[in-house]
Amino acid sequence: MIEFKAITKEYANETALQAINLKIDSRELFVLVGPSGSGKTTLLKTVNRLVVPTKGQVLIDGADVADTDLQTSRQHIGYVLQSSALFPNMTVMQNAAVQLEALGWSKTKIKPRIEHLLQLVDLDPKLYADRKPAELSGGEAQRVGIVRALAADPKLILMDEPFSALDPVSKRQLQNLILKLHQQLDTTILFVTHDMQEALRLADRMAVLHNGQLQQVGASQTILEQPANAFVADFFKEVMATQHTLNQVLAAGFGQPLTQGSSQTIAPSTSIYTWAAILKTDPHLVVQVGTKQLKASDLISYLATLQKEDRQDVE
Amino acid sequence: MLNETIHYAQANSHEILVALGQHIEVAFIATLLTIIIAIPLAVALMNHRQAGEFVLQVASVIQTIPSLAILGLLIPFVGIGTVPAIIALVLYAIMPVFQNTYAGLTNIDPLLIEAADAMGVSRRYKLMRVQIPLAMPMILSGIRIGVVMIIGTATLAALIGGGGLGTYILLGIQSNNNAALLIGALLSAALALIASWLIKLLAHANFKKLFIGVATLVIIGGGAFGIHTLMTPKTETITIAGKMGGEPEILINMYKDLIKADDPHINVTLKRNFGGTSFLFKALKAKQIDIYPEFTGTVLQSLVKTTQPISHDPTQAYHQGETALSQQFNMTLLRPMAYQNGYGMTVTQQTADKYHLKTIADLAKHPEFRAGFDPDFYQQSDGYPGLKQAYGLHFNSVKTMEPSLRYQALAQGDLDVTDAYTTDPQIKKYHLVLLQDSKSFFPPYQGSPLMLTSFAKAHPQVVKSLNRIAGKISTQDMQQLNYQVTVQHQKASVVAKRYLQSHHLL
Repeated sequence: MIEFKAITKEYANETALQAINLKIDSRELFVLVGPSGSGKTTLLKTVNRLVVPTKGQVLIDGADVADTDLQTSRQHIGYVLQSSALFPNMTVMQNAAVQLEALGWSKTKIKPRIEHLLQLVDLDPKLYADRKPAELSGGEAQRVGIVRALAADPKLILMDEPFSALDPVSKRQLQNLILKLHQQLDTTILFVTHDMQEALRLADRMAVLHNGQLQQVGASQTILEQPANAFVADFFKEVMATQHTLNQVLAAGFGQPLTQGSSQTIAPSTSIYTWAAILKTDPHLVVQVGTKQLKASDLISYLATLQKEDRQDVE
Repeated sequence: MLNETIHYAQANSHEILVALGQHIEVAFIATLLTIIIAIPLAVALMNHRQAGEFVLQVASVIQTIPSLAILGLLIPFVGIGTVPAIIALVLYAIMPVFQNTYAGLTNIDPLLIEAADAMGVSRRYKLMRVQIPLAMPMILSGIRIGVVMIIGTATLAALIGGGGLGTYILLGIQSNNNAALLIGALLSAALALIASWLIKLLAHANFKKLFIGVATLVIIGGGAFGIHTLMTPKTETITIAGKMGGEPEILINMYKDLIKADDPHINVTLKRNFGGTSFLFKALKAKQIDIYPEFTGTVLQSLVKTTQPISHDPTQAYHQGETALSQQFNMTLLRPMAYQNGYGMTVTQQTADKYHLKTIADLAKHPEFRAGFDPDFYQQSDGYPGLKQAYGLHFNSVKTMEPSLRYQALAQGDLDVTDAYTTDPQIKKYHLVLLQDSKSFFPPYQGSPLMLTSFAKAHPQVVKSLNRIAGKISTQDMQQLNYQVTVQHQKASVVAKRYLQSHHLL
């Protein structure tokens, strides 16, 4: 568990963070999201003390990072930077092994470990182990960056806008990879991004920052449905515009009057994607929304109307 | 020109190779020292920007000091020879190596440094595996600039007895020997290019191998030097040095032959082309050399302080100089040889015949002659101004020109009369006529061996050997010998020995 206690960071003529209090649970994929200059990266870097806060404490599993040996604690924290930041003078294998070498692992132990991790991120060790970073695409380089962070099997991985420089396809692939790895591994991930789509996709929970102040903390859906203030609502406005809620389905004229025995009640502001996810596990489920009930066929019909709308747009 | 150069190179191949070796040795040691100083300094200061900038400023200031001035400043502290040369070269080369290393280390992408820090690597690992390898291209280009600079500047080492290719450049300039000049210049340029190319190759080499390679070289070099020092027998060695040029080289070879003829067990080392007068005189005072040939005129004009006017009688001038040296410097000037290597006036054979010119006084009747003089001669009181008074000379047209060019100008008919050094081989080469100084106006310049009095007392046998050429070798003989060495490119040692043998001095 990571605990930020009243973290304040002041620079000569600005305050980057103002008394941030935040708790992140173990094994959580927690996203810090906000526009640039909001202080999210600064907050992330207080964890491995690349930034030393002016006031406040950061506790990892109850231990203040200011009191632990810096080099040792960093050796047990994975770190993924923007644009991979691989050392251009080293091969993929050497890059990935930096933390293991710092930990004093023997060469014979390092090699199979890195090869295993390269496979985990879908890079063939035979093809990639001896390449130099200059011979990798942006997405491949960032996969190696992830391997480097995973190498020492850390309990905590910090990711600082790792995919911001990637093309949309690579970005989506790597987001899937992170979700997969998070499921497989027993690791807390603290992920910084300015991309709200990315935040919504990845986060178990997220914290929204703006001007060094915490705006809202919660699960994606909560933040979308109940934005705490105008800034949060505005920040996610674009996403909201493309969201289809059950309210919209009802407004389009779908749904039947309630009958007895319909099973599950969900909020009208729920997105149709969440509804689709629920239907996936139980295709025959009938959900109750306000005074109406909706079936799987209603979802399909609603989606079909969207198709018609698109056509009309074209015509 | 090309043929002359090739001929000169063939005739002097051994000496040229030795000079090349010296040049490489000096440059290599200077480069190693520069690297050992500049790179760790840059590493130590990379996180102290202010100190780093300060060192950079100091190094830049050192670079603005002319290299000759640095050499001059160093002589009182470290004497002459290769040591001050290497120190001066290192002082020069530190700037580019330090600057590039510092810039290379401080301009690494901060994201990479952040990554290294975040991985929790040790400072040593970060330095050796990240910072230095990433700065390596900059460091190597700094070393390349430094090495090229060192090889070029090392030619100045010749001025202070450091040897090397500069010997040939200076020799070429002083005796108008284009072959020597070309060889010195071409070889040092080629050396710089090759070194630069080798370092470029190193840029692609493995860092670890590079380090091991350099370390091995240093160990082998150091070991060889140590063994060489230990193996060299500690018998008495007499070091004889000579100034730049062919004539001093002939003389010191004669000294060696004379000493060895009387005592074959004495070890005699010759240091030819050792530099200018003041370097040799200081080296003698500091006991770095034992003997060098000096001129009575030079002693009186520039080495000792005299209260009386300088005598124009050769014998008196010798006694004046000898006494002053003994009193002021505890030095002994042995009796001089016969020849005069002083100023003279010269015309072509044709002019001499046409106007029946025999003495300088005969020139007074020909104010229409076009004269060309060495700039010093034109100004000094023992040159043209004094001559005008003593002989009542006056020329309507007087040009000053580079001394090495005046003989050729005379031979080509561009001039009618010039000043001359009496033993210059060009006099023979162009068949020029030296006019007699019937009024003994020019101060005498007679060559004789100069040494510390303590050395003379400890080596009476050496003094006796050297005295055998006192009063020998006429001005014409010396001209002839100089001609053989500097124009015909015969070896000075051969020329010297042949002369001594044919005159029954050996």
